[in-house]
Amino acid sequence: MLQRRIIHGGVVMKEKKHIQIEENLIRETMQAAMKKAPENMKYRIMQQIETEKALTPSKGNIDKETGNVLKEFGSIFGTMYAVLAVMIAATYFLFGQEYLLSPQFLGAAFLIALIFSMLWLIARVDSHLRSKKEIRKQ
Amino acid sequence: MNENQRVQQVLSGNTSAFAYFVETYQDMAITIAHRICGNMQDAEDVVQESYLKAYRNLHSFRSESKFSTWLYRIVYNTAVTQTKIQMWADNRETQMEETSHLVENSLQIDMEERERKEMVTDILQRMPKGDALLLTLYYLEQNPVREIAKITGLNDSNIKVKLFRARKIFKELWIKCYKEELFMEES
Repeated sequence: MLQRRIIHGGVVMKEKKHIQIEENLIRETMQAAMKKAPENMKYRIMQQIETEKALTPSKGNIDKETGNVLKEFGSIFGTMYAVLAVMIAATYFLFGQEYLLSPQFLGAAFLIALIFSMLWLIARVDSHLRSKKEIRKQ
Repeated sequence: MNENQRVQQVLSGNTSAFAYFVETYQDMAITIAHRICGNMQDAEDVVQESYLKAYRNLHSFRSESKFSTWLYRIVYNTAVTQTKIQMWADNRETQMEETSHLVENSLQIDMEERERKEMVTDILQRMPKGDALLLTLYYLEQNPVREIAKITGLNDSNIKVKLFRARKIFKELWIKCYKEELFMEES
């Protein structure tokens, strides 16, 4: 019984040793399959990263642009509401309350709103084109 | 300086700190890409694109895993997407065909003149791509099974099974093709 166990243990150990040797052998053999990157690879990658960094607008620019958009929005639509307020007040005092609900007055108010909206749209397109041009210049 | 500190440096605007990652991992990255793409030109493009992706998404890198694992996962995904291959499709038939083709060719191969490097590359190229990649990740980088799972997206037990099969194929091909008892004489 004991002899059998010893023989069995010996076989298991031999098998383990065999597997270990084989593993080491494959590992050693596989080392030869390692590819080497070309020498200019690092330079190419870093160059591309530097270029990309230069072209990416910084956070400061983004904040600045967001600020500009709000400022533009506020000034154009602020003026629009001011004009509408003056128009309503003048109409109320000159022609009375009924005229404020007439189609002529509502049409005029709609036209003013449309004109200012178009103005805002043009301003946005203009600033967008400008920023694109600046990036291209850089 | 450890890798996490270097990552922080890059994130704070020091782009040149990224050069460390390029220099350290480019060889393994190109080895992985080459296993999937099958040629050096495509592998170079894949590695370049992968590093760019890694740079762009560095903010999403979680330091719980190794940087190398994260990068190799990007390389793996980029290469698979670019080559549009099915990495883990069961291509046993093709492999057997290739084996017999190799055995025929092996007679013409002048063993003395061929270097081991070419021999290993040759065998890996003829193996199913997924199996060759697993052997590369396991033996070259000494990645544990869990890391390989993160890179390839397979589960642990699947990788163990595939690794076992890959080892077997590798040994069989070696013995069949080169008639060299590499795995016999030492044991």
